[in-house]
Amino acid sequence: MARVGVFVCFCGANIADFVDVPTVVEEAKKIREVKFAVDYKYMCSDPGQQMIRDAIVQYRLTSIVVAACSPRMHEKTFRKALSDAGMNPYLLEVANIREHSSWVHQKDKKAATEKAGDLVRMAVAKSIANEQLHEISVPVTKRALVIGGGIAGIQAALDIADARIPVTLVERSPSIGGRMAQLDETFPTLDCSQCILTPKMVDVASHPYIELIPYSEVIELNGYVGNYKARIRKKASYVNFKSCTGCGACWQKCPVKVPNEYNMGIDKRKAIYTPFPQAVPNKPVIDAEHCTMLLKGKCGICAKFCEKGAIDFKMVDEVIEREIGAVVVATGYDLWDATPYEEYGVGRYKDIINSLEFERMVSANGPTGGLPIRPSDGKVPKSVVFIKCVGSRDKAKGIEFCSKICCMYTAKHAILLHHKVHDSRAYIFYMDIRAAGKGYEEFVNRAQVETGAVYLRGRVSKIYQKGDKLMVRGEDGNLGQEVEVEADLVVLATAIVPYKENPALARLLGISYDKYGYLSEAHPKLRPVETAKAGIFLAGCTQAPKDIPETVAQASACAAKVCGLFAGDTMKKDPMVSTVNKEFCSGCQNCVTVCPYQAIVTEDIPLGHGAKETRTVAKINEGVCQGCGSCVAICRSMAINLAGFTDPQIINEIVAI
Amino acid sequence: MITLSYKGKNTFLEAVNKKSGSDVLECYQCGKCVSTCPVSNFMDFPPREIMQMIKLELKEEAQMANSTWFCLTCSACSGRCPREINIPAVMEAVRHMAIEENFHPDSKRVKNIRKFHEIFLDMIKRYGRNYELRMMAEFNIRTRNLFKDMHLAPTALLKGKIPLGVKPLKSKKAIKKMYEMAEKLEKQNK
Amino acid sequence: MKKVSYFPGCSAHGTSEEFDETVKMVMKTMDVEMEEIPDWNCCGATSAHTLSESLAYALPLRNLVLAEKLSNDTMTIPCASCYQRMKATKVHMDEDPELAARINTAVVGEGKYEGKVAIKSMLQYCYEDMGLEAIKAKVTNPISGMKLACYYGCLLTRPKAITQFDSPEYPMSMDYIVEALGAKATPFDFKTECCGASFSISDTDIVLQLSGKILEMAKESGAHAIVVACPLCQSNLDMRQHDIEKKYNVKYDLPVFYLTQLMAIAFGFPKEKMMFSKHIIPVDSALAHIGEVIEEPKKPVKGKKAVQAESEVE
Repeated sequence: MARVGVFVCFCGANIADFVDVPTVVEEAKKIREVKFAVDYKYMCSDPGQQMIRDAIVQYRLTSIVVAACSPRMHEKTFRKALSDAGMNPYLLEVANIREHSSWVHQKDKKAATEKAGDLVRMAVAKSIANEQLHEISVPVTKRALVIGGGIAGIQAALDIADARIPVTLVERSPSIGGRMAQLDETFPTLDCSQCILTPKMVDVASHPYIELIPYSEVIELNGYVGNYKARIRKKASYVNFKSCTGCGACWQKCPVKVPNEYNMGIDKRKAIYTPFPQAVPNKPVIDAEHCTMLLKGKCGICAKFCEKGAIDFKMVDEVIEREIGAVVVATGYDLWDATPYEEYGVGRYKDIINSLEFERMVSANGPTGGLPIRPSDGKVPKSVVFIKCVGSRDKAKGIEFCSKICCMYTAKHAILLHHKVHDSRAYIFYMDIRAAGKGYEEFVNRAQVETGAVYLRGRVSKIYQKGDKLMVRGEDGNLGQEVEVEADLVVLATAIVPYKENPALARLLGISYDKYGYLSEAHPKLRPVETAKAGIFLAGCTQAPKDIPETVAQASACAAKVCGLFAGDTMKKDPMVSTVNKEFCSGCQNCVTVCPYQAIVTEDIPLGHGAKETRTVAKINEGVCQGCGSCVAICRSMAINLAGFTDPQIINEIVAI
Repeated sequence: MITLSYKGKNTFLEAVNKKSGSDVLECYQCGKCVSTCPVSNFMDFPPREIMQMIKLELKEEAQMANSTWFCLTCSACSGRCPREINIPAVMEAVRHMAIEENFHPDSKRVKNIRKFHEIFLDMIKRYGRNYELRMMAEFNIRTRNLFKDMHLAPTALLKGKIPLGVKPLKSKKAIKKMYEMAEKLEKQNK
Repeated sequence: MKKVSYFPGCSAHGTSEEFDETVKMVMKTMDVEMEEIPDWNCCGATSAHTLSESLAYALPLRNLVLAEKLSNDTMTIPCASCYQRMKATKVHMDEDPELAARINTAVVGEGKYEGKVAIKSMLQYCYEDMGLEAIKAKVTNPISGMKLACYYGCLLTRPKAITQFDSPEYPMSMDYIVEALGAKATPFDFKTECCGASFSISDTDIVLQLSGKILEMAKESGAHAIVVACPLCQSNLDMRQHDIEKKYNVKYDLPVFYLTQLMAIAFGFPKEKMMFSKHIIPVDSALAHIGEVIEEPKKPVKGKKAVQAESEVE
């Protein structure tokens, strides 16, 4: 005979204000199997848990029902209370009378109370059929995959590898470094980006626990937390990295010129190239889209000049596999294309550039030797207008969010402009100055006081050409008047958008993303680096716009999560998984099709005892199974059973109401 | 519509900063001065906007504003300014530059204020001290408002609130000399 | 007997004679001898610094140089405006000897400025040098029963860098002094708001608005009268009060005393010597409160029930 204990929680006022808790207790007491029922202000508190532990012993209870908040909140807490009292933790049922009753029926206390009573009755009935279950142990592959070799990926890879956990770092371009490698100096301290980044890049290349795979992409991910299998396509570089010394003869001689991505297209690179002098690995690749030899079968000059014979035009893409236990996604950001700003003449006027173009110009290793120039005539600009929130916070243009870093880098640009062109002036159109970070507000003030940069409060309404000047019209709220600035150069702080292939990558990884393509974290506050899929983590701008300090912090947080995951040789997993009764399985394989986790495979078993003929039946990998129950529902022969949600349990619940 | 064209130098800003001993670039446009200022609602451009004008080299606009003339130098604003700008000193710098360049708003109110101060200084030049009754009379004459405050006259005079005469200084010459020297210093200062 | 230099300022011989007279009474009672700066000149007030920087410094500097010729280490100034101009000149000259030398050339034949003499407003001198205890000790005729709003104006405590005295936002020195005399200082949030100052003549509208607000808030504080230590404040609040009442259609009837007038009364000088006849708003109604008992509003006492209920809540 079952002996059930029922514990009804007030949840302070959350439940008690809208559900008559003592009535629910009285209702519970009417159920034959209920041997003990009680209420308490906060059942999750230590005294509340103690009531459960004491009652288990005192009333020799066989299952427990806690009527409280969502099991997502405190199921683990109460399971532990059961364990502590020597009871199997899976003999617990939680009746969610908060989210499912008090919160949604605040206007009708009587009905809410009745519903809470029903929920308790169902939980009691189900618990009677509960079985003792035991956690499953799953082996863990202790290797992490990091996707993206910008500062986020670099930091995550280094931190994980420093814990002596092997890391595979996949970067789609020929060199790691990402956006940060394109920056000149960084706010709020103005330390040189290259100076702080390149040592980390070199560390990645030389780290014994890091396998760096540049010029490649992840094309497939299977498996489950702790046991993923990734397929990676290594794009053909047409250069044998083993024999290449990186001498540079090839790209010096290459006759084909291509807009240089690293310099935002301001200058040209060759068809065989390393993206920038500090590239890691510092080996060239051939850009197959532009190489004359690969396109037309003529040229081959690079091969002629390569003393090591490292050029191999016959090289093809290669797909490799890696077994890994966790993934860190760090695919970074792009700048939004401001062409929709027709009122600014974006695309019509050469002297309107974006902030990364400006960044490349003022960079010491940039295409103009560190001097900003007007693309139209090469002259050094004296009057430069910076416009913030181009795209950002502009619902009409489709972007509602704040890009977060523009306020700070625009202040930095004002300072850099002043450093490079002393007799210049920066005019900055802004809506707000968002400088919430350590040393940030001071930095913005520094930009104004040291360089004389003037902030004009308003959005620019129109830009037009007059002579060789761009006339920038906007309201200066600080002046209380409309102004027109005669500008030599206009720099747009365009919105930060995620890597354009994020949605495809997200589908491939089985994680979710928002309408902009930013990958979604599991919880915006409490699980900011995890995705909803166990073992996949997010670092940097792939999740939302953020600056370098925040990106690095998030990357290190990912590393901590990965290290935590890999702390033991096996991982514990809830036993709520499906099992197949092979006797009943007809081998229709409908379950294989519906399983969203690819947890079901088939196996051949003897037709009968000792028989040679075989038949095909379903086989469930309990490590992969997430207990969703899709297979149970689709199985016509009722051969699949989901632990914790067995047919008797569900039927009991239904019968109870 | 104001056109902002940068001429390669911040001459006005630098002059104001030098004269006032404050750095106008420190201003971050919070507007605390405006709501502190007891007379900002009489100004055509409140102090915050004057600061922005100085930053933007809008010298003419700043000098033509009546604001610098309405500033009472009560120093309430500078006491509260989070950026520690000596706002009255900035207002004064702009005003002094406008006087030197004989450039100021063509408003009756400002003219009256200026006239009052000129008459006051004239009194001191003549007597070494302020001759209150005469000053008020001259002000009324020179602003062509003979009957201003006349309703106060009977009480003020009868009650002896405003005495009829003044006790002039013995060393009037020293004062005259001082005025001459001060004028010279002002010219050197330019 | 202590001896100090005294700079009366133009208004002491004009609109604020009663201030000057009562300052003398107070100083005498407190055993302080005053030595007037011989042949002093006007400080230049607002006008000098409105129009000319050099003159704004030169006029006060002559007085400072003259004061240094006397052997006293402190100069007291009743008028807030004179005090402000003289103190500002002193601070700037002491900070910048080059500027001092340059301005000194305009003060012909009077000598070289050395920065020896400390400058204090009359209020500051009473509060810091006489002290509340000593003032209290001389009170023979406490003015208890009077509720007074102490109005400091702009220049006695601002800017802090110049005055280096009391708070620029909510000073209390005058409040403490009137309480030492037996009166009750009302909580008054407009203590240091500007009255309109020199616009009294050149742009009277501004004064009516600003002083009007001060009167309104003083009345709101429950005061019978306002106390000031500045001639310009006194004349704006007193002489313009009828105009203000007319313009805004209100009735304040708030006499405006000089602090020293009230001190003199408390020290036992006869009312007749206070030159109250010069006041536009009659003072008698306010003085009639002397001797009244002010009932303090009682703080609500917590009953036993309330205490219990609180402890239950937690």
